[in-house]
Amino acid sequence: MANYFNTLPLREQLAELGKCRFMHLDEFTEGVDALKGKKIVVIGCGAQGLNQGLNLRDSGLDVSYTLRAEAIEQQRQSWKNATSNGFAVGTYEELLPTADVVLNLTPDKQHTPVVNAIMPLMKHGACLSYSHGFNIVEEGMQIRDDITVIMVAPKCPGSEVRAEYVRGFGVPTLIAVHEDNDPNGEGLALAKAYAVGTGGHKAGVLMSSFVAEVKSDLMGEQTILCGMLQTGSLLCFDKMIEEGIDAGYASKLIQYGWETTTEALKYGGVTNMMDRLSNPAKIRAFDLTEQMKDIMRPLYWKHQDDIMTGTFSSGMMEDWANDDAKLLGWRADTAETAFEKTPAGDVEISEQEYFDNGILMVAMVKAGVELAFETMTAAGIIADSAYYESLHETPLIANTVARKKLYEMNATISDTAEYGCYLYNHACVPLLGEFMKGISTDVIGKGLDLSDTGVDNARLIEVNAAIRSHPVEAIGGVLRGYMADMKQII
Amino acid sequence: MHAICLDAVSVDFDGRFQLSDINWVIEPGQHWLVTGTNGSGKSALVAALAGVGERVSGTWSGVPERVALVSYERQAELIEAERRKDDADILDVISEGTPVGEIIDAVCQDRDLANELVDTLGLRPLIDRAFRKLSTGETRKVMLIRALTSQPDLLVLDEPFDGLDCDSLAWLQDYLRVLATTVPMVIVLNRFDEIPEFITHVAYVADGHLRHRVERSDEPSMAALYQLLHLKTSDLEVPQADPADRLPALNPSDPLVRISDAAIRYDENTVFEHLDWTIETNQHWQLSGPNGSGKTGLLSLITGDHPQCYVNDIFVFGFQRGTGESIWQIKQYIGYVSTALQWEYRVGTGLRNVIISGFFDSIGLYSKSTDMQKAIADEWLALLGMSGRADEPFSGLSFGDRRLVLIARAMVKHPPLLILDEPCLGLDDMNRQLVLALIERICASNETAVLYVNHRSQDAIRGIDNHLTLSSEAAS
Repeated sequence: MANYFNTLPLREQLAELGKCRFMHLDEFTEGVDALKGKKIVVIGCGAQGLNQGLNLRDSGLDVSYTLRAEAIEQQRQSWKNATSNGFAVGTYEELLPTADVVLNLTPDKQHTPVVNAIMPLMKHGACLSYSHGFNIVEEGMQIRDDITVIMVAPKCPGSEVRAEYVRGFGVPTLIAVHEDNDPNGEGLALAKAYAVGTGGHKAGVLMSSFVAEVKSDLMGEQTILCGMLQTGSLLCFDKMIEEGIDAGYASKLIQYGWETTTEALKYGGVTNMMDRLSNPAKIRAFDLTEQMKDIMRPLYWKHQDDIMTGTFSSGMMEDWANDDAKLLGWRADTAETAFEKTPAGDVEISEQEYFDNGILMVAMVKAGVELAFETMTAAGIIADSAYYESLHETPLIANTVARKKLYEMNATISDTAEYGCYLYNHACVPLLGEFMKGISTDVIGKGLDLSDTGVDNARLIEVNAAIRSHPVEAIGGVLRGYMADMKQII
Repeated sequence: MHAICLDAVSVDFDGRFQLSDINWVIEPGQHWLVTGTNGSGKSALVAALAGVGERVSGTWSGVPERVALVSYERQAELIEAERRKDDADILDVISEGTPVGEIIDAVCQDRDLANELVDTLGLRPLIDRAFRKLSTGETRKVMLIRALTSQPDLLVLDEPFDGLDCDSLAWLQDYLRVLATTVPMVIVLNRFDEIPEFITHVAYVADGHLRHRVERSDEPSMAALYQLLHLKTSDLEVPQADPADRLPALNPSDPLVRISDAAIRYDENTVFEHLDWTIETNQHWQLSGPNGSGKTGLLSLITGDHPQCYVNDIFVFGFQRGTGESIWQIKQYIGYVSTALQWEYRVGTGLRNVIISGFFDSIGLYSKSTDMQKAIADEWLALLGMSGRADEPFSGLSFGDRRLVLIARAMVKHPPLLILDEPCLGLDDMNRQLVLALIERICASNETAVLYVNHRSQDAIRGIDNHLTLSSEAAS
């Protein structure tokens, strides 16, 4: 199979990368009608599979699960998940020939064997849905011409997909239609109905393309979302220990600092996050950001280039073929780092203190968000997509670090994201080595000694203008405005 | 001066009323306010301190010799006694009745003070008038003068401000404030806005029991007590449903719920099986059973929150479950309150929005609300005694207040079925009574069928006459 993206002429590559539109609630007035009475069969009953199925059934749709015969015979966890929730379960042969819509909710790595197994069984004119486009875009999977191929990707873990639905809300969801496989022109209607069935339409739906989803998703998760948080955690912790900061304090400042500082990002973008710092600290963070951006820019370019050319995915697929040797090795290395092994201390850190004593962390988030955004948009990804895959998701990933450190982050994200994260980390830690030598506790661990909070007016104006005029802030303002309209009136 | 101690005291009032199991300690220096609804026994309680009624059990100590009581009952007795004198006309002369001056002198211990008070309260021109010919307000003033000049060791005033004109009221309030430095007082009042500054403690009486004793400085308890009194006594009606948003009509010949041969099973473990249950319109049910007997599971089969509702034979609100209906079509007919809901309701929003979310069956509010919905929510807040707090964050409320707001949320759309899954769980006594008071008002005032899960007999709700009991062993 050839990399699908690489088979497209440049103008189509650019057109596909440029697809991303925030859909309005009034585009969903038909509700789940397009799926009413259709037989929906879900492949895989893990967290996404089970929880999406529960939502779809509660929306009045006909949902059953198909598992491999061994999983059913041995009554594995996936079988238990489905049957204990009152779902019908059957083998591929039993269920797929009569299925109208098949939801492939297995991990990326299994897509090729799963799709090869199910395609011959699927009935003529059925629909196959993905939640990630890797198999189509990077592996070049060819789907039978009569089958409609769509993507519906809730941008949250499965448990949240369910919890938000039960509350009467939903999670932001990305939908796409694979244009090469939309023989009846019904792909969009099916994807919209699916998004309504999981509650996603209430929280905001982005209409994108398989290509844009894959290329932006890979870039975001490898660099700012997971990679930068991992590299930042390790470097900041080691620096604080080297400077004699209490290990428990250092561990806690980092574990919860990402979550606390990026919460400000969620509400008001980079501008608001920087505004949480004192004026001298803000100027300091700005200067650190500029230095780091210059150092890391080539690395961000390399990641984007490798994603665009397919070098990244072919490398990862080699590791799949090699029993995940690299992935598992890196995972074990991460577990052995000082940061992972040092529990957060039993110390009070106020919300503001995470900013005041974590100036370098704020600078790292700013540098990562801006570089990822700049690199993605320079590669032809539309600003909307680039925003979601950089700034928007950073707080979500930061929450996972707060729960159980890097272990939790890497366990929650996909294997693909985890592989990319380690790849980034291995390059970025040495890259920032020289820079870190010039760092001391005033920007990580203790905060500036602010007997005098005065700053030069001209310099402050210059810094504020630079922060506020970054393109990620412009698109962020617009998209957060949409989200606020749809979300809580609270 | 010693503390007044009532220990498990019961007092009978001519067989008409009984105070039961009163435990009450009034320490020196304390001044008590006694509240309760009409007929609760608050007047009986304070009258008992003045020796009224027959003590049938319990012990008390420290009640002083001289207790002065001003109350309507005492006033009525005195007038009645005067009237009887009139009737005793064996001498065949027309009695003029006892003059006001004599009535005062009969108990007076301080003539100078009596003269001063007679002048102050404007009774001088009436001093020779027959007591029984005075107006109600005037007799009340005479009663006050008698009490104040009797040099009491304990002053008991039952609604002392009732019927007084403004000037007299202001004077009395001032006078009591000074007197409070030397004489302990127990005062009955129904209105919290008139509580004198010197009151240190508040007692709440209900059904002949002294239910609550609250220190005035304990602000949260005072607020809850105020709300309880408000809910018990306010004239406010349960707000109407939104006329612009009527629920789709149900077929009146169908039951609300019909569950046939139902079971809940987890792996090998059967919680219950072969369960049949029909809930007709307007039927109130109490559901009980030990922990683990599946009460909440059974309820969630009805609400659609239990995934096994799709593998059972369940008919709810016109829908046979599992035939293409959505859970939102089911939930629109149900109001639901439970401790679990309260735990899940962790949304940073205001009280008004929490109540409005009941129109949408959502936790948090994700839809634009209408002016009518806002107005209805505000009426509910008024009923709860929370007017003016519409924008306060829900998370900042006390545990009990949150429960009240969630009950209002459940009821705001006037659902055909209100499910209350242990609505008093985790609440202290005062808040339990608050919740029960609210539920009773709801039960009494509309067409909702109530399904009530409850363990404790003292939390019974009047008007629930159907019972379903799940047993601990499976296959009941």
